[in-house]
Amino acid sequence: MTINRSLVSVVDDDESVRESLPDLLREFGFAVEAFASAEEFLGSVYVGQTKCLILDIAMPGMSGPDLQRELRTRKQAIPIVFITAQENATIRPRLLKEGAVECLVKPFSETALLTALNTALRVA
Amino acid sequence: MNLVSALADSPRTILQTLADTILDITQCDSAGLSLLTRDGQTADVRGKRFFWPAIAGMWNPHAGGGTPRNFGPCGDVLDQNRTLLFRHFERRYPYLLPVIPAAEECLLVPFYVAGEAVGTIWAIMHCDRRQFDAEDDRVMASLGKFASSAYQALIHIEDLKVQVSQREKAEAEVRELARGLEAKIRRLVEANVVGIVMWNLEGSITGANDAFLRMVQYDREDLASGRVRWTDLTPAEWHDRDERARAELQATGIFQPFEKEYVRKDGGRVSVLLGGALFEGSGNEGVAFVIDLSDQKRAERALRRSEAFLAEGQHLSQTGSFSWRVATDEITWSEQLYRIYELEIGVPVTLELIRTRVHPEDVSLIEKMKMVDQAPDGGKDFEMQYRLVMPDHSIKYLHAVAHPSRDQDGQLEYIAVVQDVTARRLTEEARDKARSELAHVARVMSLGTLTASIAHELNQPLSGIVTNASTCMRMLATDPPNVDGARETARRTIRDARRAADVITRLRAIFSKKESTTESVDLNEAAREVIALSLSELERGGVILRREFAEDLPAVTGDRVQLQQVILNLLRNASDAMSGVDDRPRELVIRTERDEGDGVRLSVQDAGQGLDLQSMDQLFQPFYTTKGDGMGIGLSVSRSIIESHYGRLWAQANDGPGATFSFSVPCRPDGVPGNPGLDAIRSLTAAIALQVMGTL
Repeated sequence: MTINRSLVSVVDDDESVRESLPDLLREFGFAVEAFASAEEFLGSVYVGQTKCLILDIAMPGMSGPDLQRELRTRKQAIPIVFITAQENATIRPRLLKEGAVECLVKPFSETALLTALNTALRVA
Repeated sequence: MNLVSALADSPRTILQTLADTILDITQCDSAGLSLLTRDGQTADVRGKRFFWPAIAGMWNPHAGGGTPRNFGPCGDVLDQNRTLLFRHFERRYPYLLPVIPAAEECLLVPFYVAGEAVGTIWAIMHCDRRQFDAEDDRVMASLGKFASSAYQALIHIEDLKVQVSQREKAEAEVRELARGLEAKIRRLVEANVVGIVMWNLEGSITGANDAFLRMVQYDREDLASGRVRWTDLTPAEWHDRDERARAELQATGIFQPFEKEYVRKDGGRVSVLLGGALFEGSGNEGVAFVIDLSDQKRAERALRRSEAFLAEGQHLSQTGSFSWRVATDEITWSEQLYRIYELEIGVPVTLELIRTRVHPEDVSLIEKMKMVDQAPDGGKDFEMQYRLVMPDHSIKYLHAVAHPSRDQDGQLEYIAVVQDVTARRLTEEARDKARSELAHVARVMSLGTLTASIAHELNQPLSGIVTNASTCMRMLATDPPNVDGARETARRTIRDARRAADVITRLRAIFSKKESTTESVDLNEAAREVIALSLSELERGGVILRREFAEDLPAVTGDRVQLQQVILNLLRNASDAMSGVDDRPRELVIRTERDEGDGVRLSVQDAGQGLDLQSMDQLFQPFYTTKGDGMGIGLSVSRSIIESHYGRLWAQANDGPGATFSFSVPCRPDGVPGNPGLDAIRSLTAAIALQVMGTL
């Protein structure tokens, strides 16, 4: 592990995601921080260091899209990859229009995740 | 003076007094009168004989005798119109010989009434004791004048007597008649068929029969006491009418029957018909007959109430009625029907008038009704729906039930009721629209929500499985392999797989709560219900539905609602398949028939785009769809349902355009149906799993 590794932050209320996804991301070679809510992430010191945010759409309290808007308000241009268990044909184009890099529907493949991350980091 | 007093005292003996007077004055032996007569008893100037009504002196016993007019001394006197003196006239008129004693001399004087000779007076000497002289002649002449007056008085008295006797006779007849009438009136009074009351104009009641007393509930004692007065029996508001009757009585003696009310002893009212008359000559008293109208009034009220009920009923139910004699076009409408047609109540109804209201497309119904005469099933009641176009161009929907019948002459006559169902129709249309929209939304929503929630529930653990498995593989692929990490991720994979299995278990629990019901199902009936539900939707899609239902179709055992869901699904698929068809009728045939063996088959045949042979085997796979908005699970669920009924569901391409989907179910399956809900979920989750695998 070196300090140069890009930090990927995961925000999801589902514990199994916070448990499994960071392990995979670390296997990919990223530094990972996981948060159970948007508020927890905003209150952390990692907001400024995060190179890519993997963000669940539906969460209790502040939702994924809420956080996206909040970050834009704070001029924090963090590339965002949304993940969701609920396929919704209408929300994806809207999120992409708002600046999201990708919107992955669970369960997503390793390849899909890597592709999205690469895109995100290129943008960054 | 004797004569004058005789005349005054006793007219009947005046002639005898005259004869006595002649005898006395002339001092003769016999004196008398001869009067012309026809019957020998009474004076009559047209008579052909004389009779002797009165004789004094020796000839007195001959009173009542007489002589012929034209052969005798008296006739000679009248013919010569002067006084004659005869000597022994029996020598000239021998028939007088028996009249003794014989007349020595006879002085005869004619007398006249109104210039007409009526008889003679005469004086006779039977011996030569004295002879009549000029003085006798003068006296006799003046007695002749008196005789004339006496005769006139007598005739007048006779006339009076005749008149008196005629009047007496008439009076007797009247009395007799009155006795008869009285008896009749008494019978009438006592029969108590009508009330009869005697009264005077002051207001008293002088008599009444029991019928009258019963009407007003008074008794004889009340009547006898004089307490009952007709003026008191009459309520105040009828006093004016009584006054009119009184005026009529005074003018004509009678009053024409009129209706009024009496106040009864208990204060209640009784309606009566009253007519009457004054007794002749009384000027104050009269009789009236009174008929109790209570029953009639009650009947009238009942009739009015029943008519009012009918009218109100028609009004409330928006139902009118009419009768129509087709041959003569005599049409009678109820008031409510006028209101429905918005025509002035009472205007004469003609077919022309009706045609001005009936929707042009429905006018032919009138002709059809006329044709019932020729129809093979003529005489049956029939129902029809038709529309009216009102003057403001609004449309009214009417529902009519007509009952044809034959009058005495065998002519067709309708009795019909017509209900304004506009409000109901509009409500139904709105409801149908809402229902079909709701059904559509519900269909999409229920399936969408179901799949979405299943997907969400399963995607969470599946996501964990995929991620952990990927991590696991990567850990094992490193050199050296991170075995501990791999073990941990493998453990998590197993855990997440269990979570997914738990979801399936939970779903199974949810769906097994709805037990499938097994009953005897008439597929024709079940299909009819589905058609009724879908009809508006099919019509909107321009689909022409044809039913070919087999009669005597045996019932099948199964879940009625589930089988109806399959039928509904097939109908909708067929309708959707024809949505793009414009070059041919969008005909949909729903058919039931007996299947080979112990089964019943239902087929839905469309004229749509038909089936692609290559896709035939995919048809029943979940998520296979040819529709833009379909989920692609209807046929797979339908097949699950049919298979749970131990039947099968299949599709065939038609010879012409389109396809036919059929299912067949046995009437007596060997076992009970399974749980198609669960089966459907099972196949759905399997399909979702397949999709998931496809993404890996």
